[in-house]
Amino acid sequence: MRSAENIKNVFKNLDLDIDINPKTDRKILGELLEAQQKSKEMQPAFALPNLRRTIMKSPLTKLTVAAVLAIACVTGLILWTGTGSGVALADVLARIEQASVYMYQMSITGQTKERPLSIDVQSTVLISHDHGMKMSMEFLDPNSGERMLQEQYMLPQKKRMIMIMPSQKKYTELEIDDTLVERTQKQNNDPRTMVKRILECDYKSLGMSTIDGIEVEGFQTTDPHYLGGILGDVDVKIWVDVKTQLPVRSEMNMQMDRMDIHAVIYDFQWDASVDAAEFEPFIPDDYTMFGGAPIKMAPFNEETAIQGLRLFSKLSGKFPEELSLTTLMPQFSKLKDSDDPSVKQLFEHDKDLTEEERVKKLMDIMIPIQGLGTFYMRLFQDKKDPAYYGKSVAPEDTDQVLMRWKVSDNEYRVIFGDLHTETVTAEVLAELEKPLLE
Amino acid sequence: MFDDRVLILKFKYGSSDALRRIYEKYKKDLLRLATILLNDVSDAEDIVQDVFVSFAQSAETLKLSGNLKSYLLSCVANRARNKNRANQHRQAVALDEAEPVVSDTKRPDQWLICSEELKRWSEALARLPYEQREVVILHLRASMKFRLIAQSQGVSINTVKGRYRYGLEKLRSILDGEVKR
Repeated sequence: MRSAENIKNVFKNLDLDIDINPKTDRKILGELLEAQQKSKEMQPAFALPNLRRTIMKSPLTKLTVAAVLAIACVTGLILWTGTGSGVALADVLARIEQASVYMYQMSITGQTKERPLSIDVQSTVLISHDHGMKMSMEFLDPNSGERMLQEQYMLPQKKRMIMIMPSQKKYTELEIDDTLVERTQKQNNDPRTMVKRILECDYKSLGMSTIDGIEVEGFQTTDPHYLGGILGDVDVKIWVDVKTQLPVRSEMNMQMDRMDIHAVIYDFQWDASVDAAEFEPFIPDDYTMFGGAPIKMAPFNEETAIQGLRLFSKLSGKFPEELSLTTLMPQFSKLKDSDDPSVKQLFEHDKDLTEEERVKKLMDIMIPIQGLGTFYMRLFQDKKDPAYYGKSVAPEDTDQVLMRWKVSDNEYRVIFGDLHTETVTAEVLAELEKPLLE
Repeated sequence: MFDDRVLILKFKYGSSDALRRIYEKYKKDLLRLATILLNDVSDAEDIVQDVFVSFAQSAETLKLSGNLKSYLLSCVANRARNKNRANQHRQAVALDEAEPVVSDTKRPDQWLICSEELKRWSEALARLPYEQREVVILHLRASMKFRLIAQSQGVSINTVKGRYRYGLEKLRSILDGEVKR
């Protein structure tokens, strides 16, 4: 007499080799392709947004949103190093470090008071310690109905970041420098980053729970240092499988500028198998490159910061009021309302320029400004005691401290209003800053 | 899994190649499930065709929370259930008239392997109430979790577990000859 277990096993493994009749097979395939074609013809116009409408109509809004998203998506790039005191989470980190290939799903939604659902991004992320990162993202703007598909590759070995937009048949290639490559190799936007950061913050255990039948322990931090202390409130939770000590799910709520962002990472697959070919971006022949050539990412250093400040002040006649990445780009966007002829020329449609030329022109300005914001953020992360006085200092204030950061125990690097730089002692700096702090 | 996500995204952007690849990848799994649920290859092919045609039209509205294979298998299970309801007269036949899945009268050209063992199983399955058969098949052959089956059938997870337990026990009894024809 068979046991129920035996019945179960035999039935499970029963060889039921059925194949579809070739004639029927061809018929079904033909019908479903026809159905797809008819369905495409019936789709509303917004289903396939064209590049012109997306980029040209309101380029800065789109690019600003992209900048905010980039922060949310690649928060791993803003990691600072340090030593953690946690015990259980330190073990979790060790376990994650052992996994050479893994993948997960990521969902990011954002809302402002004005717009209940401003951002909705669904992503699948594949990370390989050897090859880099591959991310398939679908952006959906529920307000306009616009959807954008993007495949993104971070390829440290090639020092390239490639973004492919199939619906527009476009791609962007970013050259990244050694510093960024090094940081990327250490920290992708992955659970390692989250756990490392939590370890460096005040965190607490949320106790035991169950997710999808898996026994987990939760951890939470609301320490603002999680985001470097300059990006607003944050609430991070991570649930770890008590058996494997690997993350099962994480959630992050944060406030950036005036937007509430909610990110969920789930459906982890640890030690997934991967073929190197997965990290070979496939770019069909009929796709064209944004701007016509690879875009060189500006290094996040003093030189880029000065370049960004110079460009911003040249366009607006003043310095940015704040340097937080999330407020910097909106400040840049507001420039489009300026009466200055050079600004107008930048933002108004120029018939002499092709789409690629226009995008390139915009990128040439945006990259140093974004580099300025990133440089300032990293000074915070590296605990360099930075300060910025863009609200009080104007381009003509030759001797006023515009920005400063620590370079040694008793020395500070200072960028003045006329953008010349000096290294001064802490005592001299205190004197220089007196009028700004009064 | 990653491939599937990429295929879905490409499909949602109108790629016929992605749709073709999804079809090639899962057609056999779907046909197997439909056949074993319905005891009829012709009906099963119809179901598979309906599921894929409907899928092909869904690019605009498709939202997947789980994986693609589970989604497609659930679609097959739902349509097979509806088909089964529509064919109630078939269910009303006496037990000794129930047709096995692997029947020589049913398009034998479709079956590459028709072992005695397989025939015995299909006869036994055909004697289970449809609800129990569906749960046993979905759980054991399609590796679907009880939670998903419960969602798909619109019943509680405990009901699904009960159907599974009773179905498995009855199957065991039938195969052991404890239930006389």
